[in-house]
This record gives sequence, structure tokens and C-alpha cells, in this order.
Amino acid sequence: MKIVLYLHIHQPWRLARFRYLDLGSGRPYFDVPRNLAIFRGITERCYRPAFTRLRRALDEFPEFQFSLSITGTWIEQARETDPALLSELRGLVGTGRVALVGETYYHSLAFLVPPPELQEEVRLQHRTLEGEFGRAPTVLRMTELAYSDELARFAVAQGYRGMLAEGWEGVLEGGSPNHRYASRVAPELGLLLRNYPLSDDVGFRFSSRGWSEFPLTAEKYLHWIASSPGEMVGLFMDFETFGEHHPASSGILEFLSALPRAARDAPNVGWATAEEAVDLPSRGLLGAPTTISWADQNRDLGAWLGNDLQRSAFEAAKKVGVLAHQAGDPEILTAWRRLLTSDHFYYMYLGGHGADAGVHQYFSAYGNPYDAYANYMNALTDLRQRALAKLR
Amino acid sequence: MAERKQRTSRRSAKRPSAAELAWSRSTLDELTRDLAWSRAPSPPPGRLPPAVRRLHVLMVGWEFPPHHTGGLGVHCYELTRELTRMGHRVTFLTPFPGPFTEVPGVTFRWPGGPRLPTERPSSPGSEGEPSGPWPASYDRPIDLSRPYAEAMTDYNGWVAELTGLDDIDLVHVHDWFGTVGGTALARKLRVPMVMTVHSTEYDRSLGHPWTEILEREQLGLDAADRVIAVSRHLMAQLEERYRVPPSKLRVIYNAVRPPERLARLETGARVVLFLGRLTAMKGVDTFLRAGARVLRQLPELLLVVAGEGPEFPHLLNLAAHLGIADRVMFLGKVTEEERSGLLARASVFVLPSVVEPFGIAALEAMAAGVPTIVSKTSGVAEVAKNVFAVDFWDSEEFASRIAELLEYPTLWHTMGERGRDDALREGWAERAIETVGVYAELTSGARSLPT
Repeated sequence: MKIVLYLHIHQPWRLARFRYLDLGSGRPYFDVPRNLAIFRGITERCYRPAFTRLRRALDEFPEFQFSLSITGTWIEQARETDPALLSELRGLVGTGRVALVGETYYHSLAFLVPPPELQEEVRLQHRTLEGEFGRAPTVLRMTELAYSDELARFAVAQGYRGMLAEGWEGVLEGGSPNHRYASRVAPELGLLLRNYPLSDDVGFRFSSRGWSEFPLTAEKYLHWIASSPGEMVGLFMDFETFGEHHPASSGILEFLSALPRAARDAPNVGWATAEEAVDLPSRGLLGAPTTISWADQNRDLGAWLGNDLQRSAFEAAKKVGVLAHQAGDPEILTAWRRLLTSDHFYYMYLGGHGADAGVHQYFSAYGNPYDAYANYMNALTDLRQRALAKLR
Repeated sequence: MAERKQRTSRRSAKRPSAAELAWSRSTLDELTRDLAWSRAPSPPPGRLPPAVRRLHVLMVGWEFPPHHTGGLGVHCYELTRELTRMGHRVTFLTPFPGPFTEVPGVTFRWPGGPRLPTERPSSPGSEGEPSGPWPASYDRPIDLSRPYAEAMTDYNGWVAELTGLDDIDLVHVHDWFGTVGGTALARKLRVPMVMTVHSTEYDRSLGHPWTEILEREQLGLDAADRVIAVSRHLMAQLEERYRVPPSKLRVIYNAVRPPERLARLETGARVVLFLGRLTAMKGVDTFLRAGARVLRQLPELLLVVAGEGPEFPHLLNLAAHLGIADRVMFLGKVTEEERSGLLARASVFVLPSVVEPFGIAALEAMAAGVPTIVSKTSGVAEVAKNVFAVDFWDSEEFASRIAELLEYPTLWHTMGERGRDDALREGWAERAIETVGVYAELTSGARSLPT
């Protein structure tokens, strides 16, 4: 049984309060100081201590391997706040046992925008990773682990060998997520699926005192993994799980440190990067006619495009995108791409299942979805005016 | 300071002429014409918690619909209505001789009003009860045109001396008006006392309280066995400023009834509405400043100010000073029907209060489906999630929020719809149940009525 531990590192560029009255004022859309302050806080609580622990684990356990995706917007913020943090990350990748996973530079919803936007953003990210870490990704993940047949075709066309997706029953058709699959529409593309019960045991439940398995130890967790049938187990989660979503006081960082030893002690358990796991023999072909994601109970795009506010904002963004491309101004295009970051739409979520609503509120940069929507629309409207001015 | 100077120098600048007021009224008629009225079905009455027997509550009140000026009157009306629907009896005391909106099961009493068959003519001190430091009651209507303090004293004296109330289970006082009489009466009847605070003198006076009123508030708060505040914000103030022990304090929010109308009106100019008393604590000047700012971007807007009060001349001058006199309508006091009409017609409702213990008007606007902007410190902001909340001093932010609602139709529709659900999720029936819950804390163990 190979553990495919994949951690997603991302911070968005959150918007400043951009009032309707600020239209045309030239005020910046993004609150750089606030974003960097948040970044510094998370660095202190999560990135730095977790990087340090992972580095120690890599040094101590030569069989330990894992995979990372690191968004372009995260790299930008790291460069501005803490270049040493990027060096630490380069050190991890330099061990040769940390694979990088490709995605869009802006953690964006570009896959829902007419081409060639998606291709441009994925290539930009590809180049950024190569330049920053000297390693190019061969496996692709889409924003929020979105996956569909169409995206499978895209991945193959871009030269990727594999994609990550949610191990959702609707796609698995009764099968187990613990195998390497391939795309039905593009059989040359390997599919690695997230084992969501085991991933969420750590991602969501670890610090929950009401959970019957609380407290979770690395030994218990590895026992579950070792006794699972299959060739691989996909543990896909946010990197911020370690020290940010669960605070250090929960013992999550110690848990992370304890995983490699517990894995060594568990029978028939090893580690694999996403790239290696793609080389496993395929268990079968899976189709995904509609897009799935790793979010919420429904595993669809409802977290970003489920309500009228989100859909109207996204439709408006798509229209502005046409102008932003035509305007021929890199600043305008960059601002638009930052506005396409999925987090902005997530903040406009209006409510749903109890557990989901709590998760959304936790991640929101606003007091309520109306604030998020109005602010977003103001920035977008301003950008539209700027693009139009260029075109005149 | 500059502001004050301006007010003084411009005092004679502009008063509403008869023609202007007539114009306002006719525009109001226009705004509210073609309304399709329908009576909303009454929600089922609140169910009596099983442990609570039927109570006879003596409410020491002040205003009561149809002649009321604020949330206090609405609250008393809705609360007594729900209490009586639950099977409780209410005797409502007020200094005014009516008329009162009829509520089955509620007996109104006022100085000089009809006596009960069981009631003896009052003769101060004859029952050997302490009559307190207030003068003996006057068995005639209180003349409210006399100095306020005297009228208050008269009302409280009358309350303290009331007789024929042998089966009262508890006294419930609203705000400071009747605390002196209510306290004396509760002691005389040996029943517990509840006091609901709708606002405090600190808030109403914006920090320049009248000592006489403060003392009456404090007396009631000290004497009451339980104190109900209409928001957490207000509760915190009662704890800090009046030193009311937290063990006595409860929060019960206001509510709103489903509006009696069929459809929203969607014609003509877009209306941004303020509805409330024109007092300093309501922040109407912020509304005008915000409106002036939006008008620069959206010149077709109409700002409507419905309500009367001491700030009116100042606000009129301010509108002229801001150069928006032709885009602001001061409607004065409006009837209930006009009020509903305005809400059905308004595009945005604004509650910009500097101080607002609750702010029922905002809840009414939400219930009518009008996207609403409230000040962050208002009590209603504690319960309403589907609104914009803004710092009361930030007229630029109010302006932006108004423009955003008007310019982004999806936002307008979504907040309107969800705001309506938000406002109507719970009603006065739920508030009455909570109130009875407070009564039950004080009356348990008292005699039970046969069921």
C-alpha cells in the first residue's frame, strides 16, 4: 500500500474594500499589506514549522515522499514577505523526493472560461515552478480538485501524464478509490483519487473532540491505512491543515512528524509521489461527464457557482475577460486573472448544509456574502472601465 | 463646530412652504397608489410552555397604537396580542385616553377612564399602604400639555394607587415612564416585576441625559426582578451603566409581522427610504449626506424621509445646503397604510442610527423585501444577517452600499428575498413565548388555574 500524500499550498490575493464610490479613483483592488500580514501569520503558525518538520522527516526517513502544489499567488506573497521560506521549500524539493503538481497559476476558475485562458494559466504555472524549483510537474490538479472528461483531454493535450481527482462515489461507480485509474476519454492519462474519508479524518476531524476516534494518533491512522484494500491511498488536503486549520495546540504538527515512523512500523506500507503513483498499473477507466470537486457534501461546483450572486459575478468576470485580453495591458490582464481566483466566489456562498456553512464562514474574508459580492463587482466594474478606456 | 455654525446661519434659509408640503403629499399618494392590499394570514399563536399556567399581567405602558411614535408602541401591541392569543390576560395602563387598537383579552385603563366593577374609588392612604413620595392620584384625565415632569408624576401616582387588581400575577413595566408607580404597585400587590427596556436615556439624549429620567430608569431597573433588553448591545449597556446584575438580564428581540400587501411596485424613480423619528440619534443627517453622494452618480434617485421630530428644520437646511433639496422628500408623519405603501415602493431602506437599541423599522423593510442597510451598532444588526451593516458615521460607505444595491440587480434581488425570510423566520409569537419564559421564572409555584 503506497501512501500518496499530496498537500496543496495556496493563498489568494484578497480584495481591499473597494467602494462603489471608488470607481475610477485608481485605488488598488487588492489589499497588499493585509494579505501579507495574513501570510506572515500563517507562515509562523503553519508553513515554517511544517516545512521544518517535513525536512527533518525527509532527512531521517529515506523512503518518505510526498507531493505539493504551490499556487503562483502563494509564491508571489512568499517572495514579498519571506524569501527564506521559498528557500526552505526549494530545499524540500531539492531532496528529489517531493514532487510538484501542476495547476493554474492563479488558483482560478479558468477551466470554465473560453480557451485559451486555462492553457495560458497552466503554462504560466508550469514555467513558474520550473524557474523557482528547477522541476516541472507531470501531474496536474485543477482548482479545488475539479475534474471532468473535458479536463482530462486538456491535461493530455498539455502533456501531463496524470490528474488528481476526488474519490467520489459518483465517479467510482462502486469501485474503491485506492487504485490507480485512467480516464475513459483519454486512457493515457492516469487518475489518482482522493480517499476522502481518510483525508478528512486529518483535514476536518483531527481536532474535533466530539469525534468518536478523537484523539487520532499516527499509529492508529497508519493502522487504518495498512488495513485498507488497494494499492495506494490518496491523502489529499490543504497544506494549511498543519498548524492553521488545526492549531498547533491540537498536536497536528506532532502528528505530521509521527507519520513517517508510524508508516515504517506498519506492515506493507510505503510512500509514493503523485508522479510515481501514476506509474502503477491501471485498475480501469473512469468517466466524469460533469465536473466534480473536493468541496462540500455535493462535490460539485456549488461552492463557487451555486447561487445567483456567484453566477452573476462569474458571468460578469467572463465578459470583462474578453476586454481584459483585448486591452493589451499586462496590468489589466493580471488584475483580471487575480479576480478569477476561485476564493473570491467562495466568499459569496450564501449557505447550505450545516457543516458546509461553517467551513465557508471559516474561510471567508468578509462578514457576509453580500459584502464579498458588492466589493468584487466594484473592482470588476472598475477594471472593465479601465479596459474600455484602453480600447477607445 | 463648523456644522453648528452653518445650522445657525442658515436657520432662516428655508422652511417648507405649504406648496412644497402639498407636493410631497401628492407624490406620496402617487408612490403608494395602485397598491394591492391583502391581509396576511395570522401565524398560529405561540404555544404555552406546559409548565406555565394562564397569567394576568399588568402592563405599565405608555403609547399604544394607533397613536404611537416608535418601537415601544409596536412592541406593546404585538406582545399583548400574542400573550392574549396564548390565553393570558393583560391589563394595559397608559396615561392616554385612547383610542386604542382593540386587542381581545386586553383591558385598557387610563386616568379618568372607566372603573372596574370591583374597583373602589381611590382615597390616598386609606388602605394603610405606603403611598410613596408621589402625590395622590387624580381621578381625572392627565393633562399631558402640562410640564412633562408633572404629567409623569401624575401618571405614576395614579398607577400606584390603582385598586381592583387582586388577581394580578405580575407587573410588567416598559421603559422609564411608569417605573415609580409600577414599582409601588408591584410591592403593594406583592407580585414580581418585569421591566423591558426599549432604549435608555443615555442613548436618547446622545450622552446628555436628563437626571430625572435617569433616576426613574434606575429605580425600575433596581426594583425589577427581571430586566428584558431588546438587544445584546442594550443589555451590555444596562450592565455597565446601570449596574444591573447579569443574572437579572434577558435579551428578547423585536420581531415583525408579515406585511399586508401583494406585490412590490416597480415604477418611476428609484426611492431610497428613511422611516423613523427625526431625532439626533436616528442619524438622518448621515442619510442625507450619503444620499447627496450617491446622487452625484445616480442623479435620478429620490430620497424619501418619512417621519417627524425635532431635527426636521435642521435636516431641511442640510438638504438645501447639500444642494439636493429637489431630490429629497420630507413626508412628515405617515399613516400605517402609507408606511406599507412606501415600503412596497422603496428600492433601498436605510437605518443610519447613531444609537439604535433595536430598530424595528429595518425589520419591517426586510419583511417587505426591501434590501436594507443598517448601522453596525443597531440591535437589529445582531439578528439580521441579510443586510449591509455600516459604521453609523461613514456616510461614504452608506452611499456606496446604496449605489451597489441599486446598480447590481442580482445583489438587490438576493438580499431582498433572503432578507424577507430572515425577518419573518420568527415572529412575535416566538417573542411572546420568550417573554412568558421570563414570567415563568418569577411565577412558578404560584397558584394554578383550573384547566
